[in-house]
Amino acid sequence: MAQNITPKLSTLQIEKFDYRAVYAKCGRARYISHLDFMRSMQRIIKRSKLPVWHTQGFNPHVYLMFPLALPLGTDSRVEIMDFALTQKLDNETVRKQLDEKCPEGIEIISVAQPVHKHTDIKSADYEIRFTSNIGAGECIRRFGEFMQLEKIEIEKRTKKKTVNLVDIKPYINVTEINEQDGWVVLKLCLPCGNDFNLNTNVVLDAFCERYGIEIEQICTQRTKILLGNGENFT
Amino acid sequence: MQSMKERIERLLLKVQKPARYIGGEVGSIIKDKSKVDVRFAFCFPDTYDVGMSHLGMKILYGLKNQRENWWCERCFMPETDFEALLRENNIPLYALESLDPLSEFDFVGFTLQYELSYNNVLEMLDLAGIPVLAAERDDSMPIVIGGGPCVCNPEPLADFFDIFIIGEGEEVNIELLELYENMKHNGCTKLEFLKEAVKIEGIYVPQFYDVSYNEDGTVKAITPNIENAPAKVRKRVIADFDNVYYPDAFVVPFTQIVHDRAVVEVLRGCIRGCRFCQAGFIYRPFREKSIETIKNETKCLCEQTGYEEVSLSSLSTSDHTKINELLSSLVDYTDGEKINLALPSLRVDTFSDELLEKIASVRKSGLTFAPEAGTQKLRDVINKNLTEDEILRTCKTAFEGGYATVKLYFMLGLPEETFDDVAGIAELAQKVVDLYFEVPKQMRGKGLQVSISTATFVPKPFTPFEFEPQDTPEQILEKQAHLLRNVTSKKIRVSTHMQKNSILEAVLARGDRRLGKVIYTAWKKGCYLDGWDEHFKFDKWMEAFEECGTDTAFYANRRRSYDEVFPWSHLDYLVSHEFFVRENKKAHAIQTTRNCKEGCSGCGIKKEYGGVYCGAKHNT
Ligand code: SF4
Repeated sequence: MAQNITPKLSTLQIEKFDYRAVYAKCGRARYISHLDFMRSMQRIIKRSKLPVWHTQGFNPHVYLMFPLALPLGTDSRVEIMDFALTQKLDNETVRKQLDEKCPEGIEIISVAQPVHKHTDIKSADYEIRFTSNIGAGECIRRFGEFMQLEKIEIEKRTKKKTVNLVDIKPYINVTEINEQDGWVVLKLCLPCGNDFNLNTNVVLDAFCERYGIEIEQICTQRTKILLGNGENFT
Repeated sequence: MQSMKERIERLLLKVQKPARYIGGEVGSIIKDKSKVDVRFAFCFPDTYDVGMSHLGMKILYGLKNQRENWWCERCFMPETDFEALLRENNIPLYALESLDPLSEFDFVGFTLQYELSYNNVLEMLDLAGIPVLAAERDDSMPIVIGGGPCVCNPEPLADFFDIFIIGEGEEVNIELLELYENMKHNGCTKLEFLKEAVKIEGIYVPQFYDVSYNEDGTVKAITPNIENAPAKVRKRVIADFDNVYYPDAFVVPFTQIVHDRAVVEVLRGCIRGCRFCQAGFIYRPFREKSIETIKNETKCLCEQTGYEEVSLSSLSTSDHTKINELLSSLVDYTDGEKINLALPSLRVDTFSDELLEKIASVRKSGLTFAPEAGTQKLRDVINKNLTEDEILRTCKTAFEGGYATVKLYFMLGLPEETFDDVAGIAELAQKVVDLYFEVPKQMRGKGLQVSISTATFVPKPFTPFEFEPQDTPEQILEKQAHLLRNVTSKKIRVSTHMQKNSILEAVLARGDRRLGKVIYTAWKKGCYLDGWDEHFKFDKWMEAFEECGTDTAFYANRRRSYDEVFPWSHLDYLVSHEFFVRENKKAHAIQTTRNCKEGCSGCGIKKEYGGVYCGAKHNT
């Protein structure tokens, strides 16, 4: 009997090769929350049959790291995920094998070896297109006004469940705003990463609330993940 | 014109867990609708999280989609937030693959798993713009079908359905859809189709039967009103269970559902004959799959889904004739793939230490027992073959191994139950507590917790207790109070099931066609999602009963005689009426009946249905 039992805790050191994938999450996949998405990605990896590296210990699981969460409802083609294999495989082979197992809306765009550390991420670019109950032109004028305010304070819950007022004005960086076929197209650069995170919907909610605007349709896309010096995170 | 997809997407960011409403999951099947001849919307009358966990749906979804020119899709009951938005924006309820409204389908099929989901059927039909009453649906509307365990008495729902499928679905679904495909090409009417369909064994078309009643309100007779309809509709059984269709792929949801894992069905039917348990009788006879088949199906599903957990499904997995061999060989595979093997219905009395050791992944979540009754006498009445000794022995081993949580499940209101039996529940729990303190401190885990959970007994059709009255609410309340009085230890926690649910369950489970009016009235008053405590409106239901002049006690609390015609008397689930009578008498005489493995007790099932133990000699 005893010889059949394989030890769970192996002293054998298994080699680990790091990979970083850039992936897209859009279309139908846009409605998957980050938590659900992480679980789905584990299953994609399992289905791909790649020789994935598992965390060591009593309850081994697939090693998978996401430096940033993508808010539900936001599209992106620049998302990052780190994982590891127990063998060195060609990047394109790995990409293909994963991509084949992805459902509609999820795509593995490229696979490479990690360059930067997760903590190097400082900001991200977004493109927001929306229509509202007031015309696009009027909306753009109001947004100009909004950005002239001295302070834009929002309520933020702390860990102790008290509510703090935070001025987000200094963090909002508008790179472009214009009108296209009745839609407002707004491009923002907002802080993200370990230090401070600002989501697009926080900015938009503050704006809409202040002017009593109701958004009808909205498409949000994250377009770049950036380092402190403005270069792309890779 | 906006497409359905655009209209739906505009609403999704306003609701909880929107990924449930837009499809696109791995394993979902998309076809070109122009090349499809038969479209079937498989509806689960509860939310996505519950319905997606249901094995029957996965089987029938895969089965029908095997045919290139048939397309089976899924549909669930939306949560109230999304439902309100659908109504506000005039979006009809749609299926998740094509996003087409249910009204465009040939068939809309519901699986009926529990009585409290009945009103969701009405709500879903209405949300889809389909008239809820079968009589009001013309030939342009889909054919509405029902299946699942509750159709063993479908009479309360007779007004709303065109067809009920009696018994196991794997063969009869194919036969029915083939017939439809042929007749559709010949331009037949719905009525013509239904008249042909009743020739298929297991197909029950309620409109082809007339029900008459006695003066005392009981059923007098149920008679076919067309030539082809059989006087008794016999359930379908898969005799060659080892070769029955099983899906090689599941739809893998994005959001977390109730049972989020791969599932392999290892056996069907149960050998044990607990007298309160409907599943134990309506799924007879006991059949099982071979180790080879189970292993292949496990491997195939794990690879396709990428699930990190697989569970074996059955009424009692340890009754598989080769359980040890089966588990050993499965563990070899799952351990190698780092997949967790979950065994939800493993009986404790068959745990061997070796096996326990081998299944290293059996979770330390705590121990669960369902003694169902507090004393040996009452367990004999219900034929529940679990002794106090077995429970205490297993608890002792578990406590010595560091476990400190024990959950005990019981029923209140069983036939022959006295206050002593109720007190027996508390006594049994107390013995478990005492046992814990006898285990040396350094061995046992910290923080003992023994929980008692009681449900109210609901007598069900096709069980030896189908004749029994349900306890009145007052009787149950007294028994609950008596139980609480007898619990003295702070280590024991007692929780009781909502009494009101059980009354409604009891009425619907053994109701007749006249309840259709009550269901309709209650639904009009806003009763649906009744299985969810926060949505259950008991007072509205009671209003509906009153307005329809229906007495709940007639259905729930009346003892029925052995020769009464039941609303389900025209359905044949293969187990004989004589057997149920015999079992009922034995229950009142406090006599047990052996299980099928120990020896056949002659329940009436013939050998040709493939039962492992059927056909041997029996003495009654
Ligand atoms: S016929 Fe006998 S062995 Fe078969 S299910 Fe009935 S009691 Fe069990």
